[in-house]
Amino acid sequence: MTAQARNYILRRVIMLIPLTLGLSIVIFALIHLSPGDPALAFVSEQNADPRVVEQIREDLGLNDSLPVQYWRWLSKVATLDFGVAYTFNRTPVIDLVGQRAWGTIQLQIMSLVLSLVIAIPIGIISAKRQYSAIDNAATVGSFLGLAIPNFWFALMLQLLLAVQLGWLPSSTAGQDVRWPDRGLYYIMPVLVLSLSLVATFVRFMRSSFLEVIRQDYITMARAKGLDERTITYRHALKNAIIPMITIIGLQLPRLLSGSVIVETIFAWPGLGELGYRSILSRDYPVILALTLLTGVFILVVNIIVDVIYVLIDPRIAFE
Amino acid sequence: MSDAALLRDADDLHRLTRKPESQWQIVWRNFKRNRLAIVGGVVVVLLYLIAIFAPFLPIQDYAQLNSGQRLQPPGAEHWMGTDRQTRDVFARLIVASRISLAVGFVSVAIIMVLGVVLGAVAGYFGGFVDNLVMRVTDVFLAIPQLFLLLAAAALFTPSLRTTMLVIGFTSWMGTARLVRGEFLRVKAQEFVHAARSIGASNVRIMVRHLLPNTLAVIIVQATLWLSFAILLESSLSFLGLGAQPPEPSWGGMLADGRRDMREAWWMTTFPGLAIFITVLAFNLLGDGLRDAFDPRQRRR
Repeated sequence: MTAQARNYILRRVIMLIPLTLGLSIVIFALIHLSPGDPALAFVSEQNADPRVVEQIREDLGLNDSLPVQYWRWLSKVATLDFGVAYTFNRTPVIDLVGQRAWGTIQLQIMSLVLSLVIAIPIGIISAKRQYSAIDNAATVGSFLGLAIPNFWFALMLQLLLAVQLGWLPSSTAGQDVRWPDRGLYYIMPVLVLSLSLVATFVRFMRSSFLEVIRQDYITMARAKGLDERTITYRHALKNAIIPMITIIGLQLPRLLSGSVIVETIFAWPGLGELGYRSILSRDYPVILALTLLTGVFILVVNIIVDVIYVLIDPRIAFE
Repeated sequence: MSDAALLRDADDLHRLTRKPESQWQIVWRNFKRNRLAIVGGVVVVLLYLIAIFAPFLPIQDYAQLNSGQRLQPPGAEHWMGTDRQTRDVFARLIVASRISLAVGFVSVAIIMVLGVVLGAVAGYFGGFVDNLVMRVTDVFLAIPQLFLLLAAAALFTPSLRTTMLVIGFTSWMGTARLVRGEFLRVKAQEFVHAARSIGASNVRIMVRHLLPNTLAVIIVQATLWLSFAILLESSLSFLGLGAQPPEPSWGGMLADGRRDMREAWWMTTFPGLAIFITVLAFNLLGDGLRDAFDPRQRRR
């Protein structure tokens, strides 16, 4: 590793500290500037005794000034203590997140792998036969893929595959299903999450490959008589695929946004569904924890992506 | 060489002998060659016409009940069937277009103002200001947008106004980055130094000299964000945190239809198609505009 590359990586990692602090301030401010009263989430009746509500506010520390509340929250968060949820039987937030993280991660990884497996070959073929029927079909297809709302796609799949044809279970009501039958529950959520990813990846892979095959070293390879296969897979593909790493990192927030929709529709026990339910019940500790953790996760993944990029292509560090 | 290409070359030759075209004429000429973009543009215009003239169209009132016609399938009387409350789905679909397009319009206006101002200031002044603005951008980009949208929409009272504001305030980052890049690129050019040397103020340079040069980026961004904003609004309404009943919105209609999916496929199919066609049209238009503005794409 060159000194430039090392400095670059170090700079990126140090940058993580102010970014995380900024993130925590934005999220904290958003939640505490809103007009709703979280204390009301505890009282079931509509006309609760004001004294009871006041007591709850006192217990939760909601009567302190905002900077005090922020500091208290931050110093706990630093030790991964997000407090207990207001709802969900008052389970510690970190346990809730822990129980559900795996469900979301499974879906994300499966959709990422599936979309890459589909999109990379299509992108390459598209680029190699620019303006052919296949290329036009791929372009139109990716336009359609980006325009179909994911929640509508989910409903249409449910309508067709579960309601009409009865091939797949419509949602994840029974979690105790054993493998391999359990695999059936994954199909629709993964398809829905993959839709816009495939479209994005195809378009990106195509333009990246087009750029690479116009370069001199490819002409050189052709001039010295290498066959098309070797040029495509040994010479062009390696360079064309590097920018894809960045795009994968950039798609992550969208993928997590998608999991809110998908997990809610398919009743999937994951972080997206947890987020949606905690938002509906104004469960502040859960909302704070989820938004902060996903934010930090995305920042870290993007740094890892950049580091991988620099290790593969050290020219970046000099820019 | 095909006939079309020959004709195009003859066209180009002819152009050389005339007075030079303005930039807008060039853009229009490039745009016209892209058939998909034209289709997108026509659909967008039609959608706006429908939305604007919806109150005058010969359709049922969107709230009118048709007694005894519960969950009727599409037919001559109700083109897209009726819902559980016996209301005409087609009429509701038309009226809902007003919401989608209005939300799109207002949120994109907010996005553009925030994105252009922040991007311009960061790109023009550079240094500390640039660093600060760009790090704030990074922070906002790190939060999955739907999380932020849902949280904000739920914490404030869910309504159309909240939806517009929230979409606007959580979507400006991409535009800010692009505008900053353009300002960085253009401010290094000689005419900017010339303007400064004759004593033009910072504001004047930014507004009169740099902004017109970033107009292409801004127009393309605005068109593409119209489609994203409509998609976001319908997601929010679908999750019950956007437009509130009885106001008809495409996302809300889908949420209604979901409950009756087993008996009434039309209630989930048509509103989804409406969102899909609208988003597709804006995307095609935006993409066509981008190609038309980009000098490297010329003579493709």
